[in-house]
Amino acid sequence: MAVLNNKKQKVSDEVPTSSMADIAFLLLIFFLVTTTFPKDKGLAIVLPEQGVTQEISQRNILHLIIQPNGIVDVKRGESQQIQQMRAEQIEGLWRQEVSQNDNLIAAVKTHPDAAYEYMVDVLDALHSANAERISLQVLEE
Amino acid sequence: MSMKGGGFDRKSKASSEVPASSLADIAFLLLIFFMVTTVFQSDSNRPIEWPEAEAAMKIDEKQKNILNIWMERNGTVFMNDQPFTMPDVSAFVGPLYSMSERSLVISIRSDRLTPYIYVDQLQQELVEAGVVRVVFATQLEQSMQRERR
Repeated sequence: MAVLNNKKQKVSDEVPTSSMADIAFLLLIFFLVTTTFPKDKGLAIVLPEQGVTQEISQRNILHLIIQPNGIVDVKRGESQQIQQMRAEQIEGLWRQEVSQNDNLIAAVKTHPDAAYEYMVDVLDALHSANAERISLQVLEE
Repeated sequence: MSMKGGGFDRKSKASSEVPASSLADIAFLLLIFFMVTTVFQSDSNRPIEWPEAEAAMKIDEKQKNILNIWMERNGTVFMNDQPFTMPDVSAFVGPLYSMSERSLVISIRSDRLTPYIYVDQLQQELVEAGVVRVVFATQLEQSMQRERR
């Protein structure tokens, strides 16, 4: 027993600290590379320039009138026939309508008291259907 | 010539190596300095409920060219943490827009239950300021959520 205790142990009992900085840097660089900051998302539109008005034939307009309760009244051009829809159904409608008329323009008219959310829903449906010509207006009584 | 090697074979006591042990400390110091001095966004978030959209796309513009316009449920407008009344918006945005060489993108961050009339007024103000590119900021809607609704 005494002989065993006298012998100096050759294996160090300390954690090697000299490489700690290297490990820390390695972790740091890893997280630097893998971190992506969340980019803002949204529905992009292009506003018209001031004072520019375009005359559009009623034939090429699809009126989408958003009521305060979120129901959308769909009116084609000059016809007085009104079709009531939910916002999710607009996507299918637009695809169908645009296949018949390439020059179609979506005129989204929102009731002044309707929640912004409903307009976003309709705009979302139009974007999903790859609509490009969209006009946003407020409904005038 | 009697001296061997011209007197140069004496070992110099000063080390010819750059001290590498303190390099890590210096790097950390720099790192902490930049972490402390970096400012990310100038405006803080307003408490709004986000609208959701499926077709939401990432805004393809540098962060410094995006101006956030916050709008609360009662129609109050905030830009850079300051409240604005509706007629003042165009006067504030106009100079910013021309300063950014017409590359400014407006991100409208409105509460989902804001009456649309306020959003329309804001759009009119932006048209007056000459802004063309506008984004309605939304959160991405998952299709699963939509099916459940």
